[in-house]
Amino acid sequence: MRYSKSLLALLYLPICLIAAQDPHQQLVELAKAGNGVIKLDSKTFDLLTSPKRTWEFEPSWNAVGEAWATVPKEHRDNHFFATLDFDNGQTTFQKLGLQSAPVVYVYPAAQGPLVPASGKVSPLKYDFSNGFDAGPLAESLSKHTPIPIPYRDPINWARYFTIATGVLGLLVTLRFISPIIQSRWTWALVTVAVSLVMTSGYMFTRIRGSPFIGNDGNWVAAGFQNQFGQEVSVVAGIYGLLTMSFLMLVMVVPYQTSPARQRLQIYLWSGVFVIVYSVLVSLFRVKNRGAS
Amino acid sequence: MAPKSSPPAASNVVHSLWKAYSDQTSDRMKFIDAFLVFLMLSGVAQFLYCVLVTDYPFNAFLAGFSSNVGQFVLTASLRSQVNPENKNEFKEVSPERAFADFALGSIVLHFFVYNFLG
Amino acid sequence: MPTAYPLPTNLSPATVANTASLIRIVALALISGAAIASRLFAVINFESIIHEFDPWFNYRATRVLASKGFYEFWNWFDPTAWYPLGRVVGGTLYPGLMATSGVIYNLLHAINLPVDIRNICVLLAPGFSALTAWATYMFTKEMKDASAGLLAAAFIGIVPGYISRSVAGSYDNEAIAIFLLMITFYCWIKALKQGSALFGTVAAVFYFYMVAAWGGYAFITNMIPLHALVLILMGRFSSRLYVAYSSWYAIGTLASMQVPFVGFQPVKTSEHMAALGVFGLLQIVAFAQLVRSHVSSHQFQKLLATGVISIGILGAMAFVLLTYKGWIAPWTGRFYSLWDTGYAKKYIPIIASVSEHQPTAWPSFFMDLQFLVFLFPAGVILCFRELRDEHLFVIIYAVVASYFAGVMVRLMLTLTPVVCVASAVALSTLLDTFVDPTEPEVVDDTRSESGASTISAPGTNGAAPSPTTPATTSKKAKKAAAAAAEHPTTLSDILASSSTKTAKPKGIYGLDTRIMVVLNTICMLAFFVSHCTWVTSSAYSSPSVVLASSNPDGSQHIIDDFREAYYWLRQNTPEDAVVMSWWDYGYQIAGMADRPTLVDNNTWNNTHIATVGKAMSSSEEVAYPILRKHDVSYILVIFGGLIGYSGDDINKFLWMVRIAQGVWPDEVQEPSFFTPQGEYKVDDNASPAMRNSLMYKMSYYRFVDLFGGAQAMDRVRQQQVPKVGPTLDYLDEAFTSENWIVRIYEVKKEDSLGRDLKSANAFAQGKKRKRSKPTTRRRAIL
Repeated sequence: MRYSKSLLALLYLPICLIAAQDPHQQLVELAKAGNGVIKLDSKTFDLLTSPKRTWEFEPSWNAVGEAWATVPKEHRDNHFFATLDFDNGQTTFQKLGLQSAPVVYVYPAAQGPLVPASGKVSPLKYDFSNGFDAGPLAESLSKHTPIPIPYRDPINWARYFTIATGVLGLLVTLRFISPIIQSRWTWALVTVAVSLVMTSGYMFTRIRGSPFIGNDGNWVAAGFQNQFGQEVSVVAGIYGLLTMSFLMLVMVVPYQTSPARQRLQIYLWSGVFVIVYSVLVSLFRVKNRGAS
Repeated sequence: MAPKSSPPAASNVVHSLWKAYSDQTSDRMKFIDAFLVFLMLSGVAQFLYCVLVTDYPFNAFLAGFSSNVGQFVLTASLRSQVNPENKNEFKEVSPERAFADFALGSIVLHFFVYNFLG
Repeated sequence: MPTAYPLPTNLSPATVANTASLIRIVALALISGAAIASRLFAVINFESIIHEFDPWFNYRATRVLASKGFYEFWNWFDPTAWYPLGRVVGGTLYPGLMATSGVIYNLLHAINLPVDIRNICVLLAPGFSALTAWATYMFTKEMKDASAGLLAAAFIGIVPGYISRSVAGSYDNEAIAIFLLMITFYCWIKALKQGSALFGTVAAVFYFYMVAAWGGYAFITNMIPLHALVLILMGRFSSRLYVAYSSWYAIGTLASMQVPFVGFQPVKTSEHMAALGVFGLLQIVAFAQLVRSHVSSHQFQKLLATGVISIGILGAMAFVLLTYKGWIAPWTGRFYSLWDTGYAKKYIPIIASVSEHQPTAWPSFFMDLQFLVFLFPAGVILCFRELRDEHLFVIIYAVVASYFAGVMVRLMLTLTPVVCVASAVALSTLLDTFVDPTEPEVVDDTRSESGASTISAPGTNGAAPSPTTPATTSKKAKKAAAAAAEHPTTLSDILASSSTKTAKPKGIYGLDTRIMVVLNTICMLAFFVSHCTWVTSSAYSSPSVVLASSNPDGSQHIIDDFREAYYWLRQNTPEDAVVMSWWDYGYQIAGMADRPTLVDNNTWNNTHIATVGKAMSSSEEVAYPILRKHDVSYILVIFGGLIGYSGDDINKFLWMVRIAQGVWPDEVQEPSFFTPQGEYKVDDNASPAMRNSLMYKMSYYRFVDLFGGAQAMDRVRQQQVPKVGPTLDYLDEAFTSENWIVRIYEVKKEDSLGRDLKSANAFAQGKKRKRSKPTTRRRAIL
């Protein structure tokens, strides 16, 4: 990433762009050769290829470029995909004031019939807030192309294969573990585990993408409406322990036949309950200062 | 569902089913069943009309069709409640209570049907 | 059979039963009282006022209903909302809440009690919370027994998870919806248990009421079929299930289509298809059962089973085909975003921008449910132990609702009832076990246990009458419920134990352990009560229209900027002056200022909202034509920088940008509002787009002057505002409230000399700097 900073530019040239028929023809051929993507360098911003980099955004970019290469010729040749590596184009990076990569610019046509209706010809920056996947990229770039980019997510054969074998394997093992499946306690365990994990804020960490622990090594996130991944496991563990000690008092203790052992168990589990509950409450007070 | 069975056994099985039905079922049940069959036919007719001709006043179609379906399931419920074979299942529902439930359910149903006919 | 403490012997069973039922009634009454009382903090701390945003619309609609009658309300077209589009109100709302208040209003007036409609609206939620407690009692009674029911009622009466949406003044759909949810579920369970079409019909009628009252009815629409499906899959099909489900579905679905806002959705959208599918499956299974009862041939029965399965699969395929063909609408975005949690942020930013649609972190769960959050899994396990049909319902409900509550803070409301029910089952089982006086036979020779227990017995006997004393302390009704719950259980167990408990040696030896566990429980309950009281009074009772802060000496200081500004609008502007603001304040402006608004909290038109977002995030020159085109006379912004009110428009600004960007990606771009380092700043480093935006200018206009040369500080963002404040060419400051929370600007008319306003301003300022105001006035006269 830090090695190969790239500038990805989307050039959008109208057909009747001045007399430069030759460079345009060249671009067309280069685009054909590069599977829809032209490599640039800093001097001319065109035509010179740069060494291929393996880099996390590049596959998405190339995939969209390839998809564009499949549209009919009259549309395809109005619109070009290009990349610029930092190594090859430092001056351009300076010119555009770029400090980080990747960056995607859309250069609309400045003249000719393809000038956008709004009349804005300054380059537009693509917003990476949707992630680096090819799908959203193609979707937003399609707003600037005469026809939508026919991009489709590649079929993930590996995933289908995994699912298929998983299902088959499940069916086979089902024969052997069916007593476990049919046991109500298996289901009880699953149910309670799901409820505990959900009430410990698991979905929060998934939706917000919280880190497992904070940058400073602290595992308790500051703030009442915030939490780290580790808090899920700790809180779910605390809840589970409390639930278990409660259930011990209700479901196990009354069936003891020896009074002494029963008394011991009652005190033990009550003690566990009180202590763990205190831990939980103090943890809550850490999160919510000023709690009662 | 019965016609789905394999050809040689089919007519035989259907015949024995019909025989068992007419032998084991009391006349009251048969009366209810006749009503059920009528409701089913009426529902099918309305559905066919909707599919083949038009569903234009869609609320009217829905009202008519739901009144059929609703009356059908309420009657079927009544049938299973008063069926002596199910006595163990419906300990708290006597046949008289079942009929009262049926009547009330039908009234509520047709109140909404009437409101929906538009 | 030995007992741990002596029992009165001279009581007849009838006396015991009568006393128990009396105590139950008293306890329920006290619980209702506590539920209502704890929701009145808002009225006592502030005043009898409608809270927040949506309730203001509900209140306004109710006023129309009360003053003009039902038909007028039903056909109400509101031209002042969504100016210039207007809103067909009657067909785009859930009328249940307003109809309820209207009925109560007319009823009270019929018996000559001239109660103001506002007070009915304010007190509706607390009133219904008492009914919710009763419905939960009935529901839990079906799960276990009356003592568990009382505990559940006490829990739901005061648990913050429910109070958060039902304090006095929180006049929203949820106020009555939770009662309807619980009563519908109760009727469903009752119908299933008895196989009664009557309860099925009643469930359908309450379901209808629920559909009329709250969009969350889809939860019932899917919970009941799920329960039925699980029962079928477990081989628990019975005629009772058939009767209950069929009668509920057939009547309920037809009834739900009577609500105009719902329309034909129950037969046309995917959310409702599960219910229809289970209905069809039940018919097939029931028919197969009927046939099977007449034919004994084994082969035929096998055939029948394959027939049922293949028809089921065919039916499922038909649904898929219909959805694919477009006959059945796919899941709506709101519903879909519950499963694909990234969906809303990407495609429906308006939904994602609402704070109550954010996922829930664990402290919120603990704050809203306290010790119930870890007690309810225990209750679920106890349900698994017995696993009757109705217990399955609680189990499914618990899993589904805990997932939903994790995804969206708002859905904590649907989780709360089941948590209360399951916890009550768990806690009352504990109390049953440890209060039950019978001692099991000791297998080995240690008889000293029972000896010790007889010695300390008088102590308990002395404590025995205590359950009656909480009846006097009405505030702590939950405690009373706990105590009352113990009490009847103990006595009724005396009656029951002689006949049943002989199968397996089970019970508690000795008295010390009993006292210890019961005391422990009481302490926990007391802590719960104090927690609930604290949360309710400190977190959930603020009307958010009126804010409170405390003076240095600890006394309360009321910040009333919102009403100050809204009444200013009401009294100083022409009646048809269009006010533009971000959509959050649309209902309040309509309700309190009675002025037309561009957008409001009924976020049905994304483009219109994006237009407002674009105007707010563009420069003055770009925004002005938009404002003029929409006849905007006044713009209202919320600014908290002076007193540190964090819910202001600058903090919501990025959502305006995002929503505008969704419609005009070429003209509004989110990244340009950040500094090159990617930070959101309002100080000297703020990006040019930020500093030129209308929102920024309106927020910080003349803000620097307030500090008289000192460095101006934004107390929300903790940033220093630039020394030179923004200037406005196209707007005039019209009003700023006491604490600067609400700022209102007047949009200037076109210059009378045909100049653009910028050069006109520059001219006026260049000539005579001080006399810009009179110039404006003269222009207005011309």
